[in-house]
Amino acid sequence: MTPLLEGRQLRKVFGGLIAVSDVSIAVQPGTIHSIIGPNGAGKTTLMNLISGIYKPTGGSVWYKGQEITHMPLYRRAHIGIGRSFQITNIFPNLTVIENVRLAAQALSSIPWQFWRRADSHKDFINQALSHIALVGLSDSILKPASMLPHGGKRKLELAILLAASPELLLLDEPTAGVASEQVGEIIHTIDTIRAQGDKTVIIVEHNMSLVMGVSDRITVMHSGTVLAEGAPTEIAQNKEVQSAYLGELYSDVMQPKTGEGKHDH
Amino acid sequence: MQTPATSIQQKPAWRRTLDTNGVFLLWTAFLLIFPFLVGAISGTSPTGRRGESVFQQGVMIEYLTYAMLAMSYNLIFGFTGVISFGHALFFGAGGYILGGAARALGGETGVIVGVVLAIVASTGLGLLIGIVSLRLKGVYYAMFTLAVAEMFYIFFRRNPETGSEDGFGLGSSLPELLGQRIVLFYLTVILFILMFLFIRRLMFSPTGAVLLGIRENENRAKTVGYNTLRYKLFAITLAGVLATITGMLYALLNRKVGPEMFFVNFTVNPLLHTIVGGIGTFIGPILGAVGLSWLERTIRSTVLTVGESQINIGQWWAIILGVIFVAVVLIFPYGVVGTWNRAAPHIRKWISRFLPGRNAESG
Repeated sequence: MTPLLEGRQLRKVFGGLIAVSDVSIAVQPGTIHSIIGPNGAGKTTLMNLISGIYKPTGGSVWYKGQEITHMPLYRRAHIGIGRSFQITNIFPNLTVIENVRLAAQALSSIPWQFWRRADSHKDFINQALSHIALVGLSDSILKPASMLPHGGKRKLELAILLAASPELLLLDEPTAGVASEQVGEIIHTIDTIRAQGDKTVIIVEHNMSLVMGVSDRITVMHSGTVLAEGAPTEIAQNKEVQSAYLGELYSDVMQPKTGEGKHDH
Repeated sequence: MQTPATSIQQKPAWRRTLDTNGVFLLWTAFLLIFPFLVGAISGTSPTGRRGESVFQQGVMIEYLTYAMLAMSYNLIFGFTGVISFGHALFFGAGGYILGGAARALGGETGVIVGVVLAIVASTGLGLLIGIVSLRLKGVYYAMFTLAVAEMFYIFFRRNPETGSEDGFGLGSSLPELLGQRIVLFYLTVILFILMFLFIRRLMFSPTGAVLLGIRENENRAKTVGYNTLRYKLFAITLAGVLATITGMLYALLNRKVGPEMFFVNFTVNPLLHTIVGGIGTFIGPILGAVGLSWLERTIRSTVLTVGESQINIGQWWAIILGVIFVAVVLIFPYGVVGTWNRAAPHIRKWISRFLPGRNAESG
């Protein structure tokens, strides 16, 4: 099967620092692929290379068999790549509904209309409302986004991402800084996306129970290179991964929730 | 579930129009009767070439052109979040192109050709500057636009063909009709209202929403799929054309053009007017421009008599403006209108406590 997204020999150098060194990654359509690794392993840099925020020093990015290494950021949204950010990245002084409506409008043909009222396009409002409901923000649609608590902003970030109805979602630490009691809601949203079945997701995440619970495949990064790649069970049992990164600390949360793969051993 | 669209549909259409536009209609009516109002109060004719009413019409035209300049500046500065220091370039271009055409061709033909040429040229100028420089961020873009505008300022100050420092007068080359103050007054009022309505309409449209998105978070706007460069190009070109129109009115009012129209004053003033009135609001730039221009005119002509000595406080205008600016920024961080918009719901709530029969607080 051709991968939906492929990074070939990706390399990114900042001054003298090699942040990502010849990393190759292939993400199959319909799967949830996690990238984990200690701080400074190059996970977010890899995400920025894939999404087009950074231009790679070397290597190439392919989407549906087409090279997109030099495609501008806004064009990538039009071919179905959506991205959320580790540091909350919303439109702070616009209302929640306007944040999401703006994203829903982006890929349509209406952005260059400047005579009709934006809110006369009911379909975008309805789309936005359903995405807001999915992430659980229906109570605050008319609030300015900056007034939301941190967890709310993270949810809004997801709603903005979903509003453009991308095929490939790039989630950069969706639970970063979220209070532990709200992490469940974000996992629930990702599960819902997964249940719809038509989306492919790449997640960078520190929360091991989230990663082990939702991933089909995991890439472990260390010092800018790929240390290991495999199904959650394989990663959990990989001695090299355990010693290099996970250590004793994670030994109890490393048990995958699904039983699949256990019979192989 | 209530959407913003459904929540306002409880009242009949005419009532909603009146609710949202009542103040606006009142001001329109005031502007339309202004020449006759002043005429009646001062006992002078609103038509003709001199008299109190004609003089006050000139003052009002000046205020309205400053307001239009601030409105056009607010479109890029307040709504799109792009800081330009070269707005005077478009203002001056409008004046000089109209003036040049009027001088070369004379009469109605000169004015019509001048207007068309100025709008075409400023569109080209806006696109050119944008394409060359919009990739620059923040301060660098501001500096680039300042440099271009100053270049024009210096060129026209040195260019003997256009009268160097003095510029040139248009008096003899303009058609008779535009020599009548009241004609120019109503032309200005109409253009002012059209510009206000156009900007408001634009900002409630899908395109306006994208401009706000760029102001709020340009990178996010890019990642959801907007070619932000193209939208910024659109905004600065449009704002440039609006400033050009304003420059033409200013030239018609003064019946002359001069290199000072390219000077940085005509960038800094709309900037200050917008900040004082309220960045990113519809009324703020107008309030700031008219308020500060009125204040300047009043203070400049005020002479205080303290005992024996007379103090001409007009000399201190720049310092007074500085103090006002600092005070406004400290007291009204979002400008007068912006701060009012934020405070109004709280004030209304507070007042409603003291009104019998209104239960805004209950529930």
